[in-house]
Amino acid sequence: MKLFVNRLQVMTVKELVQLTRDIILIIATIYLFTFDIYVAGSETGLSLNNAALRIYDGDHSALSRELISRFRQPYFRFDGEILNNKEAIPLLDKGKAMVILDIPLNFQKDLVSGRQADVQMLVDSSNSILGFLASSYGGQIVADFSQEIAMRNMGLKQMPVIKDECRVWYNPNQKMEWFMPLSELLTVITLLAMMLPAAAMVREKERGTIEQLLVSPLSPFQIMFPKILAMTFVILIGTVVSVFLVLEPFFHFPIRGSFILFLIITALYVFTSSGIGIFISIIAKNLSQVVMLTILIMLPILFLSGSTTPPEAMPGWLRVAVNFSPLYYYIEASYSIFLKGVGLNVLWFKILSMTAIGLGVFGIGMWRFRKQFG
Amino acid sequence: MRFKRILAIIIKEFREILRDPLYFSLAFVVPSMIMLMFGYGISLDVENIPFAVVDYDKTQLSRDYTYKFAKSRYFNLKAYVEDERLLDKMLNKGAIRVGIVIPEHFQKDLSAGRDVAVQSLIDGTLPYRTKITKGYVAVMNAAFNLEVLSRYIAKIKGIPFEQTISQVNPISLQVRYLYNESVKSIYSLAPALIGMILLMSPPFLTALGIVREKESGSIYNIYSSTVSRAEFLIGKLFPYVIISIINANILWIMAVSLFGVPFKGNLPFFAAATAIYVICSTGIGLLVSIFVRTQIAAMLVTTVLTVIPAWLYSGVVIPISSLDKIARIEAHLFPAMYYNYIVMGSFLKGVGVDILWKNVVALIIYSILLFTAGYLLFHKRVKA
Repeated sequence: MKLFVNRLQVMTVKELVQLTRDIILIIATIYLFTFDIYVAGSETGLSLNNAALRIYDGDHSALSRELISRFRQPYFRFDGEILNNKEAIPLLDKGKAMVILDIPLNFQKDLVSGRQADVQMLVDSSNSILGFLASSYGGQIVADFSQEIAMRNMGLKQMPVIKDECRVWYNPNQKMEWFMPLSELLTVITLLAMMLPAAAMVREKERGTIEQLLVSPLSPFQIMFPKILAMTFVILIGTVVSVFLVLEPFFHFPIRGSFILFLIITALYVFTSSGIGIFISIIAKNLSQVVMLTILIMLPILFLSGSTTPPEAMPGWLRVAVNFSPLYYYIEASYSIFLKGVGLNVLWFKILSMTAIGLGVFGIGMWRFRKQFG
Repeated sequence: MRFKRILAIIIKEFREILRDPLYFSLAFVVPSMIMLMFGYGISLDVENIPFAVVDYDKTQLSRDYTYKFAKSRYFNLKAYVEDERLLDKMLNKGAIRVGIVIPEHFQKDLSAGRDVAVQSLIDGTLPYRTKITKGYVAVMNAAFNLEVLSRYIAKIKGIPFEQTISQVNPISLQVRYLYNESVKSIYSLAPALIGMILLMSPPFLTALGIVREKESGSIYNIYSSTVSRAEFLIGKLFPYVIISIINANILWIMAVSLFGVPFKGNLPFFAAATAIYVICSTGIGLLVSIFVRTQIAAMLVTTVLTVIPAWLYSGVVIPISSLDKIARIEAHLFPAMYYNYIVMGSFLKGVGVDILWKNVVALIIYSILLFTAGYLLFHKRVKA
């Protein structure tokens, strides 16, 4: 037993030393854990900000100006009036405007005399999400204005309407920076957890040093496992660095739950993902193949994680598949710890599921690995 | 520069790629796979949002209100619960994403012409989904309001229900969506994906192809041969450009036939612009390969250099017109943005050379710069 631990220790140190020899790899890893997360967090993402708005005001009345003044930042940025209807389409074609509001002649006259006035909004929906948001915000602005006019016209002080009191939990202002950086961090962890052990293994194959290891008294497990241990160690350090040097100071990312619990889950998750890394190292003969295979396997895993598409929006068979994705449980657990501040009492099932899947993959991977090298 | 030597290198390179069947097939499989995964997988359309209701009123009108949500395709009613605290728990567990609290006297107040506050609790873990959900809730409320209001006005003014609309809603807003008339997210996504994939995959192939020679040491054969720098680079990069152009074709066919995205623009122009873009992104791979020594490093550096600009500055997530000043300048420094104009213009907007030529020129300049830098930095000497 002592010999076993000793061997693991020596091999783990060897892996760490080997890692430090590849300067570019180290720089890239540091980059992934710091700058990459920062850049991902600074993007505003799919939210409507400063949509370039042009207005054709055919009426030039007090009411039309009042309506225009309500299209404000942060959602819309008023880029000026256009004088002619015909300018609208070319502006949209060139991408110089995203929304064009067309207020007709006699807008005020119609409203005062109780007739309905038609306002038109042209929306560039080549990005469907932003198109939807622009029309929905614009629609809300016009509807509010319309309601005020209705009340004025009818001399009512109050109307029987529902006031939407919307309360958003966990991330009240829907800050992208409370979502993107963690999502990116989890992706980076997944990428490295799969790739680093596989790369370390295949490099031995490529350089032929695997032969040295095979003639040594080490068992296949003692060859592979230290690589995973070393990389887990590196990834955990990276995670701590990322959370306390990037997430906290730059984005004021809330840590409402137990950070230790998050680290434990992360370690568990890295182990489970490295099982996939073992598979890759069995198949691949050189590092280029490792890279391509990693990307190939990474994509469905990311996709099934539910971070881009919620499971409820997926077709039935995919919703079943999601239950077998360790990243799905990992993401759910991570966001729950950071944003919702829940603990083991709520998360135990997710953690258990993740571990069960991981142990399965790891076990099969190790078994195949033994077959190849045993 | 001799054509024969270039040809020899091209043939050598093709053979090398073909003799590694796994790598070769992955060069084609990975791009299509990304397209398939993202195209079918990422549905940015938010639908079937699970929600629960606490109904303190329990009247005809409050049930109507709930029913309005439940029957729409955007919401999926999970449960009626008795207590707000249960909503908290369900949100915590992730069982629902929206909770609605209908207060007492909901029907009484509305019938008497008073406004009523209805609380909606939304899980904000995923911000973009939250925003759309909020939008849906607002739309639902607005539609419900219009009905209630019309009925109320009809009652107090004694006019027929149909005539109340212009009174209740004096400004009618007509929204016309251009380019993606049905606001399908796949129509926006698939063309954008072509731009993203063609920015990422050629540099990967190129950088790995060159660095592989460095790592295995076979590049010394080139160093010691009579082949000149330019001949080597052209011969070496040519196969990767060809593979990427084939990939571009596959991606285009997938977008049009599999996802049914309309292609409204000029196909020859688009093909030519795409070829230039592919050459441009191959140049990025060349530059990366000069600075790194191992394949793993090549992969990581390429990821860093291409994935982020492809995502951020291509107009895929944020329209260029909405970027702030600094970001807009940064966006102009990456090729992704120019190609995004071309791909979106050609697919959805149906505009041609007359509007897009500037972007093509930018890509050409970009390619020339990259290749000149690559040529100048590539040496047939071993660093001391």
